[in-house]
Amino acid sequence: METAIIKERQTRKFKDVAYFRSEETYTLLPFRFHRMPDGREILVNEIGDYMVVPSGTTARIINREINNNDPEDAVLYEDLVAAFFIAEQAVPDLLEVMATRYRTKKSFLDSFTSLHIFVISLRCEHTCHYCQVSRVTSDKNKFDMSRVHIDAGIDMMMRSPARQLTMEFQGGEALLAFDNIIYAVEKAKVAGEQHNKQITYVICTNLAPLTDDMLVYCKENNILISTSLDGPVYVHDKNRHKPDASSYRLAVDGIHRCREILGEENVSALTTTTRLSLDYPIEIVDEYVALGFRNIFLRPISPYGFATKSVNKNKYETSRFLEFYKTALQRIIRHNLDGYFIREDYTAIILKKLLTPFPVGYVDLQSPAGLINSVIVFNYDGAIYASDEARMLAEMKDFTFRLGTLGETSYEEVFYGEKAQIISEAMLNESLPGCSECAFQSYCGADPVFNYATQGDMYGFRPDNAFCQRNMELIQYIITLMEDDKQVEKIFRSWITGKS
Amino acid sequence: MDVQVTNNVLTVTVDESIYPEKVLLKCLYWYSDTWQLEIDRVHQGRLQITIHAKDDAIVAWEPVSARLKRDLIDFKLRQIVADETRTIRELIVAKAFAYYEPEETPLSIVSDPVGFDPTSV
Repeated sequence: METAIIKERQTRKFKDVAYFRSEETYTLLPFRFHRMPDGREILVNEIGDYMVVPSGTTARIINREINNNDPEDAVLYEDLVAAFFIAEQAVPDLLEVMATRYRTKKSFLDSFTSLHIFVISLRCEHTCHYCQVSRVTSDKNKFDMSRVHIDAGIDMMMRSPARQLTMEFQGGEALLAFDNIIYAVEKAKVAGEQHNKQITYVICTNLAPLTDDMLVYCKENNILISTSLDGPVYVHDKNRHKPDASSYRLAVDGIHRCREILGEENVSALTTTTRLSLDYPIEIVDEYVALGFRNIFLRPISPYGFATKSVNKNKYETSRFLEFYKTALQRIIRHNLDGYFIREDYTAIILKKLLTPFPVGYVDLQSPAGLINSVIVFNYDGAIYASDEARMLAEMKDFTFRLGTLGETSYEEVFYGEKAQIISEAMLNESLPGCSECAFQSYCGADPVFNYATQGDMYGFRPDNAFCQRNMELIQYIITLMEDDKQVEKIFRSWITGKS
Repeated sequence: MDVQVTNNVLTVTVDESIYPEKVLLKCLYWYSDTWQLEIDRVHQGRLQITIHAKDDAIVAWEPVSARLKRDLIDFKLRQIVADETRTIRELIVAKAFAYYEPEETPLSIVSDPVGFDPTSV
């Protein structure tokens, strides 16, 4: 009897704490990894924080071989905990923080469509070989946006849940229809007040038809000017042919006049990189520096519309573009090291994703994709497209991304209709083949129009997808530059903070 | 993992309990632009990958095989992380969007029946 009671007591005895302690020392949190060519590994967690670690570290983390008590591992262990790659509890204490940070990264969705592009006229006085859409004509009735369509476009814009809207006028050459721009701005001002919207106006122009009256109107209405400058005269004028005149001279003269009247901060320029441009990365950067620009945006030419027909001039290998981009970026870094602040915008967008917890409203690198969610295009003929590239595709008679017609199709049909739903299936890189496992998922985006235009379906095929190759390489290159040279990291940080 | 090269075809046989089919599919996806690929279940628990050139060119298989072995391990590691962290990942996403509340100004005047002025907070 006595023995039985003792046994019972023994079995009921509280176990030592060690008995309940799990064999595993830490819990994995969601992360992905990428192997760099030199063997190092880039780890990126679910909320976009990254770490570069020696080869084999990922396997050691997964095998629970990182030991907090080992002096050689202690720093790595602490970094992994602090950066949300592992947690010391089964359910991490900071789960709420992770959720909030995830939401912040995706908060570009909160305001839904904010950028509304009005293709105010398709007419243009340039005959650029790569241009996808423009027409050299004086037929205003056929190629300018009608007032009825402008009114309907503004009505639809006012339906957007976004309080801050951007109304961007594109062409053709938008300034050829400046009367249309005035009409649209005046109408939007009234509608904006009624609907409590703040509207930013932008005119995309080659500046050739610019007059002082136009500048005065832009000044009075805080209209921003976005122009194109492809580099030095011998690059720009070959890219942008204008009969009997130098497009470069007109653009540079226009930039000076805009700066004088509108202020430096209200004029920006974009480069379009053509096959010709690829031979002049240094010269293009130096041209921007010579003209006093503090930023440069090195964009590859889009694969749409007329551009794909001009095979010899425009089709170039992604690897050639990457080589061009890297050389130009090195030159930009050199200028910064020499004391001249100039930022490359594409790198700055990626840096903001890498180094800050904030959302980045750049439509080409978003998931869910920027088309429809962030941008909508109203074409000169009243057609509504999912993005600027979608309307260029339409110029090739492919209307896959046409969402309706101004004045005929309702807001709900355009933004939530059957077509928008079909496109939205391919809008998330989190669920696209190849992207779902990619370490760079949170820095990259989904581009159904690009996939469709280049590979024939909206989902795309990652192993030979130019968008994927370009971004994978560039993101890795930017991380490598920062890891290998702390001076470069300092410059890069100044690009996103504005502080040197 | 058994690796064989016969008649210019690379054959790799793996234990399915170590490299499940979804790991093979995710890994071989990245080979499918260059190579013709097949996956077959040859025995119970054994999966066989067959790789040959699309244009029947003679191939030096050594580097392809070395890369494939490394990639299979990498994709296995990715799968372990994905499997182990699925619940936490779902929790993060669910909590992130469940908490969404648009900022709205109350349309009516806020009442103060107990004498506590909420607008002063």
